[in-house]
Amino acid sequence: MSTGIDWISLPLVGLPLISSIVLLMFIGNVSNAAREKLGPSIRMVSLIISFIMLGVTTMMFFGQMDKMADWSTMNFGSFNFEFSYVWIESLGIRWSVGMDALSFPMVWLTTFLLPITIVATWNEKNASVYFPLILMMGGALIGVFVALDLFMFYVFWELTLIPMFFLILKWGGKDRKYASQKFFIYTFTASVVMLLGLVTLYLMQPEQIVTGGKYGTMTGRTFDIPTLVSHSQAANANGMWFLGESMQKVLFVMLMIGFLVKLPTVPFHTWLPDAHVQAPTGGSMLLAGVMLKMGAYGMFRLPLAMFPHAAEFFQFWLLALGMVSLVWGAVVCLGQTNLKKMVAYSSVSHMGVILIGIATMQPLGWAAALFMMFAHGIISPMLFAVCGAFKHHYHSMEIGAMRGMAKHSPWLATSMMFGWMASLGLPLLAGFVAELMMFLALWHFLAAENWSVFWMVGPAFVLAITAAYYLWSMQRTIFEGGDDTQPPASLHGAPVPDIADSEKIAMVIMAAFTILFGIMPWIALDMMNGWTVAFFEQLLIPILNGGV
Amino acid sequence: MGSTSSSEVIIHSSAVEYAPLILILPMLAFPVILFLGKIFNGNPFWKNSVKEGGLIALVIMGASLLLSLWLIKDFIGSFDSMDEFTDWTWFTSSMWNSGNETDTVVFGFGVHVDHITVVLLFVASFLCLLINSFAIGYMNTDPINDNRNHRFYAEFVLFCSGMLGMVLADSFLWLFIFWELMGLCSYLLIGFYYERPSAAYAAKKAFLTTRVGDVFLMVGLAMLWTLFDGHLDYAYVFNDDNIAKVDPASLAWALGLMFIGAVGKSAQFPLHVWLPDAMEGPTPVSALIHAATMVNAGLYLVARMFPFFGSEHMFGQLDDLAFIIAAIGGTTAVMAAAIAFVQTDLKKVLAYSTMSQLAYIFTGLGAALYLANTLHWHGAGHEVEHGIVVVAFGAALFHLFNHAMAKGMLFMASGAVIHEVHHAHHHLHHDDHHHEPSPKELVMLATYLKEKDQSAFEFFTSIDLDGSGEIDTYEFKEALKSAEIADLPPWEMEPLMNAIDLDGNGKINVPELDLTLTRVLLEEAHDHDDHHEEFDAQSMDNMGGLASKMPITATAMLVGSLSIMGFPLIGGFWSKEGIIANTWRVALDDPRFMYPALCVLLGAGMTGFYMSRMWLKTFAGSPKGEVAAHVGPTNTWIKTPLFILTFITLSGIILASMGFTHWAPESKGELLHDSLLDGFLYEMEHAFANHDSFFFILSYVALFFGAIVGPGLALSLYGGKLDDGETAKPWFTPVLALNAAIKGRYHWDNSALSESTLATALSNRLYFDHYYDMAMLKIVAAFSFKAAEADSGVIDGTIKTIERTSQQLSTKLRALTTGSARDYILMAAIGTLVLFGLIWGVVA
Repeated sequence: MSTGIDWISLPLVGLPLISSIVLLMFIGNVSNAAREKLGPSIRMVSLIISFIMLGVTTMMFFGQMDKMADWSTMNFGSFNFEFSYVWIESLGIRWSVGMDALSFPMVWLTTFLLPITIVATWNEKNASVYFPLILMMGGALIGVFVALDLFMFYVFWELTLIPMFFLILKWGGKDRKYASQKFFIYTFTASVVMLLGLVTLYLMQPEQIVTGGKYGTMTGRTFDIPTLVSHSQAANANGMWFLGESMQKVLFVMLMIGFLVKLPTVPFHTWLPDAHVQAPTGGSMLLAGVMLKMGAYGMFRLPLAMFPHAAEFFQFWLLALGMVSLVWGAVVCLGQTNLKKMVAYSSVSHMGVILIGIATMQPLGWAAALFMMFAHGIISPMLFAVCGAFKHHYHSMEIGAMRGMAKHSPWLATSMMFGWMASLGLPLLAGFVAELMMFLALWHFLAAENWSVFWMVGPAFVLAITAAYYLWSMQRTIFEGGDDTQPPASLHGAPVPDIADSEKIAMVIMAAFTILFGIMPWIALDMMNGWTVAFFEQLLIPILNGGV
Repeated sequence: MGSTSSSEVIIHSSAVEYAPLILILPMLAFPVILFLGKIFNGNPFWKNSVKEGGLIALVIMGASLLLSLWLIKDFIGSFDSMDEFTDWTWFTSSMWNSGNETDTVVFGFGVHVDHITVVLLFVASFLCLLINSFAIGYMNTDPINDNRNHRFYAEFVLFCSGMLGMVLADSFLWLFIFWELMGLCSYLLIGFYYERPSAAYAAKKAFLTTRVGDVFLMVGLAMLWTLFDGHLDYAYVFNDDNIAKVDPASLAWALGLMFIGAVGKSAQFPLHVWLPDAMEGPTPVSALIHAATMVNAGLYLVARMFPFFGSEHMFGQLDDLAFIIAAIGGTTAVMAAAIAFVQTDLKKVLAYSTMSQLAYIFTGLGAALYLANTLHWHGAGHEVEHGIVVVAFGAALFHLFNHAMAKGMLFMASGAVIHEVHHAHHHLHHDDHHHEPSPKELVMLATYLKEKDQSAFEFFTSIDLDGSGEIDTYEFKEALKSAEIADLPPWEMEPLMNAIDLDGNGKINVPELDLTLTRVLLEEAHDHDDHHEEFDAQSMDNMGGLASKMPITATAMLVGSLSIMGFPLIGGFWSKEGIIANTWRVALDDPRFMYPALCVLLGAGMTGFYMSRMWLKTFAGSPKGEVAAHVGPTNTWIKTPLFILTFITLSGIILASMGFTHWAPESKGELLHDSLLDGFLYEMEHAFANHDSFFFILSYVALFFGAIVGPGLALSLYGGKLDDGETAKPWFTPVLALNAAIKGRYHWDNSALSESTLATALSNRLYFDHYYDMAMLKIVAAFSFKAAEADSGVIDGTIKTIERTSQQLSTKLRALTTGSARDYILMAAIGTLVLFGLIWGVVA
């Protein structure tokens, strides 16, 4: 328990949540006309708050806060800015926050995307409600990443649904009602399974005689994640399965159901395209950029850390699910005629990479998964920003509705080409590093464990297919036409606009960071590598060595 | 280096320390040119004095060339590999193999310089500079490129950066990274004229076809990485001790997969289909990327594998792969040459010629790798074998050099021709064809009114629905619909409106309509008399007799063609003879190699034919059409590189005498000749008076095919005397006289041949493109559409079914809400029991 200032609870979680609630309550009590008038000021307030958060996390990266450990050399199980307050003493529920090299990149990514999202959707309608909701979204997401208490983790996990539900419902497209309900019910159902797993985990843990502190005075049990992980580590050290073999397998599956649906993985992915297509641009950016990664983050934080035996037991299924997501997502992408749906399915495909990386049970593969979470978190918001601008300007999401975009909207065309190229894994852009590492880790794993080389066919095939669907869509939007092609009917003869200045700024920043992390991946990769190495050396390797 | 061991002297040259700048400078110039161009677009100073960024690029490429020359000079002074500067760590990660610790894996970047690097480095940096100069003369004088050349130069320098980076990189990983970067630039530059659907299609095709190869390359790299314990840097993987630990069969697979990547990038059978279409790009792009540099990347990759083949630990284990490389090369050499026979597009002939010549180099490399793998050629007592391997490899590398120089020049010359023909056409037809043909709907409307004998005014009032005195788009659309002429969507109405709307206010009034309809009728009458076909400035059917009008260009083209044909004493001759001889040398040893050996021999004759045909159709004979008669000479920016490259190609004999036919890994100073004269005599002796009777006969057979049969056939069919009054430079006189004499005496009718099934198949590129497109459409696309349907139908359908069922269920469950407390208690009790039972079952 470190001393000093709690930089997480208030500045990163409390500030956005409280300020958004205050703003929304305030807005709820004024007239419609006043709401319209207050829009720009509320937008500016939201932007300033998001900048404060970005400033805090960026200073954390540079190690400017007092008494913090270096991100890349932290021990497994130790956290920076760890703070803990009693919440419900009788059950052992506490408000505990802290960050390690697993959560910090995600937190930074969230604070990075908040101002980007606000700027990219600067002219969104109903601004006085929209921007506080974006802030609330950010606060809830950060809450998930910094929570070190199972109860708190679950509360924030579900809290993220609420602003997203309203973003889709109020700012969405034609079928927004159906999409928002499907999104909510689908992921909520999965979370309930996860909740059952968490409660069972709570009840099944060994009861402590000496209570108080982390342990509930009434139950003698704890919700504290590091404590539970250390229990698991102790059991592993004795060569035993934490909580017993069958229990561990059941709990692993229950937790994974929640995370796999969130990730999402085929066949639990169908909420995603609907949600994305209907969601407003800002919602899509945060949904694809951060919310999907909650699933991958949760896997690393809970089931993989607590139930490593079960993880090894289910290795084949993890690899199979990852492979299916990767290939199926890419193939379905090729069959899409809707630009945003295509991008949504490409997210499914990319999330498959994360699962495959995890399944390799190699530090390289895990680092690949972590870096993919991060890189995709920068690239996919750009893709959705492009889709949003496309829809805004051409009133259609159909590929081919507008051709010769390079002529009419050079900025949008350039952004699109950049984003597409980044997403298909062009070297020197962030996505390539993750894909390369996954590729190497997978082959290394297959060769070392004598698995069939045919597992390699999937990723190889997808490399070609991904290029195919992106290039195909570019051929039909950016290229062709120009002078000869007239603007689409939906424009009614109006001149074709290019994207607004605020959108240009957002695109340029996202592109710059994609290049930055493509050329200098070590900025983020060093700490991820440190985390995976610590994880493997202190937890996983004994199990991998021992076998099941 | 074949057996780079830790004991080898590594030269520390300060040139190596500056070597990264060779690629970093152009990479930094990319954003600079792009943003300056964006800011100053249309500014006269930017346009005329900076050439829209062309001069910035030129300066940067000049600096890169100087740094490269410095590096090359230091290397030639020492003849040892320079491999330092690996202190830049890209990123690190970890692997776990066994034990309780993880092993660190480092991905770094550095510069590696050896014999192969030096050749490619010179070729790339030198041609980048020359073609940059050409591009200024070509791109900036074409009005179609107005205000978008900055994009061209930015992408151009990014490409140069990729090429130079690939050559300098010290690991297969960075080779791949720059390889992909070049692929991106190739895509962008082929699609430079993005508004043309054909360019968009060609760009996509190029990227995807090479991507197929790249996928295999990436898998091969992953295999190699695992084989060498997490290393891809040359210093580690080429170390003999490390090669010794590797399973030969696995290594063969890894290298074989990597070779597929090379096949894609160098446009070899069966991944060759993208290269001819890539000619949609501007000619400087064709010259640099699709002839002189990027397509050499595949060759470079295969040449890089040499140390594996040369290692004693792999002795005799990789010969199958060497054969596959040679066989793919042989097949492509003949196939591409055959397709080149029937092309009429000047650039397409050159594209197929590129494909064919790259295939020669592949064959030569295959032979050299075979020799290196099956001969004991290291150490004392093996000097003869050492010489054989070095000469075989050197021939392939030297052909790469010669081909790059000659083909870069040929493309620039063809660009000059196309540029001037286009210019002449524009000049000639500027006056009588200044307007676009009228939209056909207007013609129909005018005819309709004429037939109904309705005046423009009557028609106008009948369609002016709101009586405003002006017709807007909607009213005009309705009018066309009611007249049963066309029912157009609004966006297709706009050109019609624009054609009539003379004052540009978006509405039509009576005088505008009257004037336009009268004009349309007049034009229609006129066009029936003089129907004008689309003019193709690239077609050789529109050229002919240009030797007198573009002397420098014609000279360059002649010298380049002779070099490609392997005409005695000119550049390509020295290397081509070497490749043929070495392939036959292997064929004597291994009968499988008879196939590539026969292919390259046959290919020599075919090359002679199609290159001669191209030159004769373009420059000899009388001009076909009035356009060709009005072509003028080209400008200085274009002439300068042509002049320099002509000189270099002609001086092939000097380079050969200096010993560049032996320029191969592990050849040290001893193979270079003491004096130019010695070298000259040595080369002449080997080429024309070989002591071995087999090779003596072989060299004359090859010469007979390449320099007599092939060109002879072309001379009898094409070209002819220039028109009377046209004077050509004196050095054309013998060629033209020979042409006139042979054509006059032996001319024969080849129309039956040119209409045969084979010729049709050849002009359809042997249907490869067709079947590939069909496969994409019928299999991949069809499957993906089915998959998308299944995704929403089956997977999402299941979810929807669950959703529906649960809704129905809940309606039924609502019936359970009886309102009776007794029922509720019972249900709660049952529920609790079930829950306990579940937990009990799980725990027990």
